[in-house]
Amino acid sequence: MRMIIDGRVVTAEKGRTILEVARENGFDIPSLCYHAGVESWGGCRLCLVEISKTSRPDRSELVVSCIYEAEDGLSIKTASPKVIEARRDVLEMLMARAPESAVVRELGYKYGIIETAYVKRENADKCIMCGICTRVCEVMGPAAITLAGRGGERVVTPPYGEAEDCIGCLACAQSCPTGAIEFSETPDERSIWGRTFKRMRCKLCNAPMLPKEQVNFVANKSGLSPLYFEVCDSCRKKQSAKTFARLVS
Amino acid sequence: MPISSQNELQTRRSAAEKSFRSARRRVMICAGTGCVANGALEVYDELLKAITDAGLPVIVELNSHDDKKKPKAHDYLAKSGCHGFCQIGPLLHIMPDDILYCRVKTRDVAEIVAETLTKGAVIEKLLYKDPNSKERRKGRADIPFYAGQTRIALKRCGEIDPESLNAYLADGGFAALEKALFEMTPEKVVKEVEDSGIRGRGGAGFPAGRKWRTCIEAAGDVRYVICNGDEGDPGAFMDRSIMEGDPYAVLEGLMLTAYAVGAKQGYIYVRHEYPLAVQRLTKAIAVLHTEGLLGKNILGSGFDFDIQINRGGGAFVCGESTALMRSIEGKVGEPRAKYVRSVVRGLFDKPTVLNNVETLVCIPGIVKDGGKTFKKIGTKNSSGTKAFSLVGKVKNTGLVEVPMGTSLRKIIFELGGGIIKDRPFKAVQTGGPSGGCLPSSKLDLAVDFDSLTAAGSMMGSGGMIVMDDRTCMVDVARYFIEFLVGESCGKCNPCREGLKQMLAILTRICKGNGVPEDIARIERLCDTLENASLCALGKSAANPVRSTLQYFKDEYEAHINEKRCPGGVCRELIRFDITDKCIGCTACAKQCPTAAITGERKKLHVIDQEKCIRCGSCVTACPSDAIDIT
Amino acid sequence: MRKRLIVTPERCVNCRSCEVACSFTHAGEANKPAVTRIRVYTFSEERNVPVTCLQCEEAACMTVCPTGALSRNPETLAVDYNEEKCIRCKSCVYACPFGNCHFDAAYLHIAKCDLCGGDPACARFCPSGALVFDTQPPKGEINREDAPKIRMKFTLPVP
Repeated sequence: MRMIIDGRVVTAEKGRTILEVARENGFDIPSLCYHAGVESWGGCRLCLVEISKTSRPDRSELVVSCIYEAEDGLSIKTASPKVIEARRDVLEMLMARAPESAVVRELGYKYGIIETAYVKRENADKCIMCGICTRVCEVMGPAAITLAGRGGERVVTPPYGEAEDCIGCLACAQSCPTGAIEFSETPDERSIWGRTFKRMRCKLCNAPMLPKEQVNFVANKSGLSPLYFEVCDSCRKKQSAKTFARLVS
Repeated sequence: MPISSQNELQTRRSAAEKSFRSARRRVMICAGTGCVANGALEVYDELLKAITDAGLPVIVELNSHDDKKKPKAHDYLAKSGCHGFCQIGPLLHIMPDDILYCRVKTRDVAEIVAETLTKGAVIEKLLYKDPNSKERRKGRADIPFYAGQTRIALKRCGEIDPESLNAYLADGGFAALEKALFEMTPEKVVKEVEDSGIRGRGGAGFPAGRKWRTCIEAAGDVRYVICNGDEGDPGAFMDRSIMEGDPYAVLEGLMLTAYAVGAKQGYIYVRHEYPLAVQRLTKAIAVLHTEGLLGKNILGSGFDFDIQINRGGGAFVCGESTALMRSIEGKVGEPRAKYVRSVVRGLFDKPTVLNNVETLVCIPGIVKDGGKTFKKIGTKNSSGTKAFSLVGKVKNTGLVEVPMGTSLRKIIFELGGGIIKDRPFKAVQTGGPSGGCLPSSKLDLAVDFDSLTAAGSMMGSGGMIVMDDRTCMVDVARYFIEFLVGESCGKCNPCREGLKQMLAILTRICKGNGVPEDIARIERLCDTLENASLCALGKSAANPVRSTLQYFKDEYEAHINEKRCPGGVCRELIRFDITDKCIGCTACAKQCPTAAITGERKKLHVIDQEKCIRCGSCVTACPSDAIDIT
Repeated sequence: MRKRLIVTPERCVNCRSCEVACSFTHAGEANKPAVTRIRVYTFSEERNVPVTCLQCEEAACMTVCPTGALSRNPETLAVDYNEEKCIRCKSCVYACPFGNCHFDAAYLHIAKCDLCGGDPACARFCPSGALVFDTQPPKGEINREDAPKIRMKFTLPVP
């Protein structure tokens, strides 16, 4: 199917979102709650675009491009005045929500905001409530963290503060766009969500690897034996080389 | 023995009708939530005991079977649903005489039995006293609050025992279902609803027929129907009264919807705070199961249908249809972008028709009498009637149902009896947190979906809050934003962050710390909320603010530029002074929590402005309206 | 017939051009040996074995990946890595039985061979025919002494 983005004709397949198609074709649409590896959420509202059907050019609406699917005959404006105004206001709100976040600040500068006129959140952390971490944890499997509470009281937390189901994979912290999730990693252990996970060591070279909890979970979920996870990638690769050497001798 | 055929149903209905007509009088005691809180159940118990003790023949339930015997003269006593005039409850209504007793207490029961039920005499002091003419009025026909109404959705509220299937049958209950199952195709049912032009009474005003039509055209075998009983708007209680007072009609409406769109499973989502509604609906569903009117092969027609009740968890956002569906699915009640409509992909990703309680309760009438009949009432684009909860500074508070096109003036001044203490009318807020405030220049507006939207407000679910001159419109806007801040689900930025910032600005203005730039900032926030929010909660949050800015901009300017609150509400900006109307009764001084008022008996009292915290207790206590607020 | 990366360890002369070519293609510089997806291992018997991703039919890395960041390329039949979908859980690093998924701590993503999208650089620069991207393995013997002459024939691509 064909769509027009900012005056240029692009082709798209059924089931792709406007955001995917636009980005593939080089259009710059910002987003903060979008992550290609998890379900689209449509919460940050930065990826808003103005669309109209070519059959009804007088009627337009603002939709989130990370959810709205490509349609034949759609006309899309990625930076119309209404879109820019909305984005700017949302960014200004986010700068008040997470004043310490460099990512938000830089995006704000890009849209012409030096300082936010809104009231800054008290004791603000860098969390912008994008929900990526919870969706990552869901797709990873444990679903150990959730969005608790409503509205301004909403926080990312394990249920009742106890991170029983966390496997220490750190995927949440590494997927967070603002780096808001606190964690630490040493050769011996990982700490996150108030828990400490001892890292397994490579049986051959003692290099630090994944925590046992993550190994057990992943092995269980995928059906692979936990024995797969006992040796690090470098030693494994060397082992493979040894095996191949023996095969060709 | 369950009712397994159309014939059996008709036999059962005739027996109930006969039983209903055979009663000499019907005595209905309102047992809606309001009256129950006021002691209506005790009144009922006392009355039943007194009637029995007096040897007066009485039945409390209608017959299921015709015993063919000629009954001797008797009365029918029952607890009914909400009569609607909640201000003067507990209510007791006697038909066909049409005698309405108000504020009935257990101590009045003996006299009611001795005078009215035995001798047929009317007890003056229990009658309604018109607040304007001060005359006593005998019955509903004489009371403007009732006489001005056209009750279709509220038809049976206050007329029948909501817990009795026989009472519902006696009023023609399930005749529409019979007609649909045995004389109409599902498509024909949809056509009647389309012809009626009925628009959703939950807030959005979307044509129900068009919704049903899109559903039947959607792909997939499994469909669902949902009744939205979440009614979250502050001040709205129409749906509550209908669910409590006419549960069988709600169920019949849902069954007809299911038959029309091909659903086998239905859900009723009732907000957590309505336990009586849940109780009545649960009982009604249980009775229908026992009687064979729910479950497999209803009346032998081949139609299978069952209903489940889901209770909400106390979230306004769960009244939004997509959030409601997620709640039923067991997930957190969060809305989703509605680019694919729920009628195509809704509950459990299946085509789903969701309708409001008030919409559903009109469906049996539409199917039975035809859509065109329904369309005869109302305006061109808003057919039928609408139930409003008329509350606030109005003399007659309660539920009123009027044809679409009735003017605000008629509702507020004729049915409502005008403003309390005859103070000047300032504004009426319609549509709850998604609606707006309309000033006196709009009093002659013919109320319907489109006229309210054009004026800058919204029909919403039908809340109508009347405000007098002692109302601060900036504070009203602040109140609604504060409500929404607490109810926002938190998913999208414009709502979660924007409402918070809006509240901060409005609060600052109310406290006297507003700056001229605030108005521009508020307007910009309104734009962002409307354009960028994910769901209707955020999108319509701008309405109360925009409408007050449109019609009452002078109040905002007074707060910001003059640090003055014209309505005399914002504590930091007002002062209380005692005028020479003071009669020296010391009532105010006695009430004052900070002992700020001094004065001798019969002499002018004085308020110490340093000590005064402007709580307003003195104003309430003063019998001669001698305290000025400026 | 589809082309495959054919590794013939007997032909490997341990020149490590493949490692240089691989790291250059992926990092844009030749000085980042850690970035290479292919590595040559030398054993005491003068055996040199280049090891890279075997693009397994039943890939363990694909099985454990929760987001589908590792997926089969229908043209090259390689297991491709989509960085946008990756959540950096590193399950693949430890699941691969041959150790061919690496976590690049500098770029914070997974480093694994994707056959360069259908024209593997390692094969292009291998002078001895130990790495060949073709439907058939190469014929003939090669001496280590000849290797440098053959390597000079190739120039590195301009990024």
